[in-house]
Amino acid sequence: MSQLLQATVYGLLQGGLLALIAVGFSLVWGVMNVINLAHGSFVLIGAYLAFELHRQLGLDPFVSMVPVAVALFAAGYLVQRGLINLVVKAPIFITLLLTFGLDLVLVNGLLLIYSGDYRSIPTGYAGDGFTLFSGVRVPVGRLLAAVVALAITLALVAAMRKSRTGLAILATGMDRGAARLMGIRARHVYALTFGIAAALAGAAGAAVGAVGTFSPADAGRFTLFSFVAAVLGGLGNMYGALLGGMVLGLVEAWGGQLLPGTLVNAVAFAVLVVVLAVRPQGIAGRAFYSTRVEV
Amino acid sequence: MTEPDTAAGKGKALLVRRRPAWLPWAFGLVVVLACLGLQSQLYTGQERTITTVFMFVALAVAWNLIGGYTGYACFGQVGFFGLGAYTTVVLVVHGGLSFWIALPVSAVVAAVFAGLIGLPLLRLKGHYFAVATLGVAEGLRELVTNVPRWTGGGAGITIPSTGDRAPTQWLGNDGFYLLFLALAVVAAVVVALISRGRTGYALRVINQDEDAAAAMGVNTTWAKTVAFGVSAALTGATGAAYAFQQVSIYPERLFDVNITVLMVVMVVIGGAGTISGPILGAAAIAIASEYLRQHFTEVHTLTLGVLIIVAVILLPQGVVNFARDAVRDRDYSLLSNVRRYRL
Repeated sequence: MSQLLQATVYGLLQGGLLALIAVGFSLVWGVMNVINLAHGSFVLIGAYLAFELHRQLGLDPFVSMVPVAVALFAAGYLVQRGLINLVVKAPIFITLLLTFGLDLVLVNGLLLIYSGDYRSIPTGYAGDGFTLFSGVRVPVGRLLAAVVALAITLALVAAMRKSRTGLAILATGMDRGAARLMGIRARHVYALTFGIAAALAGAAGAAVGAVGTFSPADAGRFTLFSFVAAVLGGLGNMYGALLGGMVLGLVEAWGGQLLPGTLVNAVAFAVLVVVLAVRPQGIAGRAFYSTRVEV
Repeated sequence: MTEPDTAAGKGKALLVRRRPAWLPWAFGLVVVLACLGLQSQLYTGQERTITTVFMFVALAVAWNLIGGYTGYACFGQVGFFGLGAYTTVVLVVHGGLSFWIALPVSAVVAAVFAGLIGLPLLRLKGHYFAVATLGVAEGLRELVTNVPRWTGGGAGITIPSTGDRAPTQWLGNDGFYLLFLALAVVAAVVVALISRGRTGYALRVINQDEDAAAAMGVNTTWAKTVAFGVSAALTGATGAAYAFQQVSIYPERLFDVNITVLMVVMVVIGGAGTISGPILGAAAIAIASEYLRQHFTEVHTLTLGVLIIVAVILLPQGVVNFARDAVRDRDYSLLSNVRRYRL
């Protein structure tokens, strides 16, 4: 029983991080109809940036999260403005391939600089933990990562619903043509959206670096997780991505307890395919952009 | 692939004399004969490279049927590749069957599997279909990894191809050159026949507007399932041949997402929804990739990534479609491509 509880706690903590990764991915997908296959490599760039900041300046990863997010926001803005905006109106394979090419460049760039070795960012408190009721252990680093991740995600959702910029992004996602007629600059809004997604991925990367090991080979896994979480939660629905990340974390943790080997991954994909086949709009109900107009 | 029409281009096209129907077939025959003649001129290393080219031609042509003609972006194609490979492994290793029996059985197994998952998945559209097929392929890989009794698990398995336990002797570099050439030819001919037939028109209509096609009485479910199944069968057979060529196989390599993406890149850069496009694209990219691997070992994947980005931005509709439209409209500027799709 306590083993199952322990797995649940771990799953929820891991789910918080996955949610932070998935929210940005889901936002880009929902607003621009672009699947960003390079999303996982943004997470890793965040992790390596935090790694460098720790090595050179001794910054704690949860502090360096802020400059990392800013740097990735700028990079994401430029990538969208200079590259992806060039093919946004093309058929879907084209944007998929473009982001795939980007992913190849980024992952192999990281491989050239840092080799394929696994690295981690040492913190004094990552190993510390406290014991909850009936012997369930909670590691401080992971708890911090999950709480920060959830806070950022919730702040983003609130900002999207309240601020003018957020509303402009949502409006452009629903109907680009009408949004332009209202004086919204679509190019800028798309770049902004991509920048926000990259910043969130970078922040998540810093947290990933703080709680575990990473190597350039992990990029594909992060992208795949964001895929699954975004689809589980409903496309472009940010609360949904949050929920999807949590569900994925729990499925992983429980499956790891109950199933042999890596069969848990097969279960995660089976869940994904069944959800897609039965409820393409996601488990969280209607997709936020179900009314979107393709232009 | 939907292409924005140019009304002026349509008008001019009527004036262009149609080329005779036998011309592409004759040209294809010449190419095949040239490939057969080329074999005796190659060193072993070159022969292996060209064999890889043939394999990717077969894979790209197969993907084109579902992705190019039908417009269903199947991102799980490598699942059929791996399924075909592992079906052959199980039949040869555990059943002691000849490779020549295992190969067609693998194609059938892949086609049946595609039919089964196609029924629910082909109702999905766009990205959802892409993600679902990706999930199926990843799920298959995990499944294969976790039944080590049959597949050797993550560590891999070896097909007995020499000695007393070998049901079929390894074919050697020359044999595989011919086998993969044959697979590429079969794939191209099958897809060409389908695309010129009733089903081919149904697939193009589905790509343009599926609801309208259904309303006009086209049996879209049937056409899509046929395209998916045939594509899977061709891919599965190629996977089976690849497994026998490699002898030792493991899931990481046979279910590598990059193989799927390479197929898509080849089709898109060559020209989706055409016969020659995927063949040209596959040959160009496989050779470029091999050249980069040999001469720029450190950065070859990175360079491939840059090439993909540049090609996708400048030639989003593919070389073959670009050339056709450029000749028709007398517009040879690559920048007009960029102008068409940019925001």
